[in-house]
Amino acid sequence: MKLNRRTIFGTITAGALAMSMAACGGDSDDASGDGDLVSGEITGSGASFPDAFYAAAIEAYAEVNPDLIVTYSADGSSAGKEAFGQDLNDFAGTDSLVGDDDGPEAGSFQYIPTVAAPITVSYNLEGFDGIQIDQETLAGIFQGDITAWNDPALVATNPDLALPDTAITVAHRSDGSGTTKNFSTFLDEATDTWTLGAADEIEWPEGSIGGEKNTGVATVITQTDGAIGYVDLADATETGLVTAAIENADGAFVQPSLDASTAALAGAVVNDDLSYNPLNAAGADSYAIVAPTYILIRTEYDDENIAAGVKEFVTYLLTDGQDIAADAHFAALPEELRTQALDALNETIA
Amino acid sequence: MTTLTNGGMTPPDLSGKNLSLRRSFADKGATLGIALCVLIAALPLALVAWQVVSRGASTWSLDWFIEEIPRNYRTEGPGMGPAIVGTLAITGMAALLSIPVGVLGAVYLNEYGKNKPLARFIRTMADVMTGVPSIMMGLFIYVGYVTVIDDRTGFAGALALACLMLPIVIRSTEEMLRLVPDELRQASSGLGARKWRTTLGVVLPAASSGITSGSLLAVARAAGETAPIIVTVGLTYVYKPDLFDGANTTLAAQIFRNASQPFAASQDRAWGAALTLIAIVFLFTIVARIIASRFAIDKR
Repeated sequence: MKLNRRTIFGTITAGALAMSMAACGGDSDDASGDGDLVSGEITGSGASFPDAFYAAAIEAYAEVNPDLIVTYSADGSSAGKEAFGQDLNDFAGTDSLVGDDDGPEAGSFQYIPTVAAPITVSYNLEGFDGIQIDQETLAGIFQGDITAWNDPALVATNPDLALPDTAITVAHRSDGSGTTKNFSTFLDEATDTWTLGAADEIEWPEGSIGGEKNTGVATVITQTDGAIGYVDLADATETGLVTAAIENADGAFVQPSLDASTAALAGAVVNDDLSYNPLNAAGADSYAIVAPTYILIRTEYDDENIAAGVKEFVTYLLTDGQDIAADAHFAALPEELRTQALDALNETIA
Repeated sequence: MTTLTNGGMTPPDLSGKNLSLRRSFADKGATLGIALCVLIAALPLALVAWQVVSRGASTWSLDWFIEEIPRNYRTEGPGMGPAIVGTLAITGMAALLSIPVGVLGAVYLNEYGKNKPLARFIRTMADVMTGVPSIMMGLFIYVGYVTVIDDRTGFAGALALACLMLPIVIRSTEEMLRLVPDELRQASSGLGARKWRTTLGVVLPAASSGITSGSLLAVARAAGETAPIIVTVGLTYVYKPDLFDGANTTLAAQIFRNASQPFAASQDRAWGAALTLIAIVFLFTIVARIIASRFAIDKR
């Protein structure tokens, strides 16, 4: 109501004024009313995985509306969910779904998917680019059953390469991590042979090397001849790691890329609450190991101004913000899911 | 008596020139070994300083100290102003909270409590608390203050840092008070001064330089804390001089945040923030040393 009245008033005023002013008024009407941008401060915290994207989006958004100060603190998914339950943030970022003991009560939040990103399997084997690995072999490598690069299982999927007998060293995250969770969940769901379970922390086989955060794993891979590890695309690209093509659900070997991730999202089944599982999604172009990430928004905000601010910022993430995603090495949502997310946002915060 | 009868003889040669070859070799060897050890001990310190200066110095400019922090990790360029102000304000508030309480606590322990059960208990607890990991203090304040007022603030961080500093201040101050000779106290009492007068006018000034350096050690440790700050203070990119109004940030938190990113621009900022933090601590140490030497009773 308020918005309508102002817009009408703005148009009338603009019409009554000089021509140039009228043109200005018309422009701002198209952008759904510049005068109605929210000012104030909203804080979010949670997953570190999408931090690079949110940071880029927050900076770009500060140019759209400098009066709304948005802060996102990458404390980790579980810390973000807990803070959300304690009412310490206005929105939370999370890579995993909300469990019973995580903090937020059922019905008090809505998932809004924002972006997704592939988890690469990166390795260090000089002179051998684009190695193809099938799913069972990948499980074998990471649980220590396959210990050399010229193992018959690897030779079988790479007939054109004369693989050396270099020993394989597994590099993994030493800290508890959503990336580990998604990677192990993929192996757990996709293969029959994976025995190490799916969790934020895994008991890796003997002789494997841990690294702190994605950056640490990337460093281990760079420094260790014959190393292989799972790293997010941003770190793999920035560090210049060589990535393996992984077998997907359709049996095709696909290199990690943003397009292949968006394809995987399109092939994933979306639940009613907008949560979805893009791991091992159908489609010949889909990359198999794609991690989703969500923002949790409250179904009820005490402060109307904060509700409006959250709505405005998340709307930005789902519209213009999607164009920034690729720069930060994140995959934009496919059109259908994006529309669903926007609808859910508008429904939750009226 | 022996020295008297020794009068006519030539004084013994203590220059070491007449030492046997073996002894002089052992002497030179040991001196060299010790010097080498000092060098090795100083080497990591020098390397750290060199590394931080060489990688962080390029970020310094006027803008670095006054601009807001870039929101995007990949944006190149300066801006650490809010973190510098945050570090000074939060650490300053923590010092304000903990040093008076800590010093007075130490006065109780050394001047009044001595070996009473309560004093012994406090002493033991302070020792235990010195070894408690800093994140515990952060969680304590998170549960006891942040979740109660439902907001992460700079003051919450100051409280956590104050908890961290308190046992260090108490123990170091007590050690310093213990070094003040009892003769000074007796002389003061002998002149008719009451006990509070003696403590305030004689004991504390005599120990002031030691108390200052002990307190500074605590301040320096607090300024570099990351974990409790992240839990209690949150994050901001803009200036927040009011510690009671919303989330804040410090240099240490910014180092942690920026260093773990793969992007060169944010890593540069992390090095710059590290250099700034070292510079601030260094500056404070010098200033405090000067103040302490002004107020200290001349040593004769």
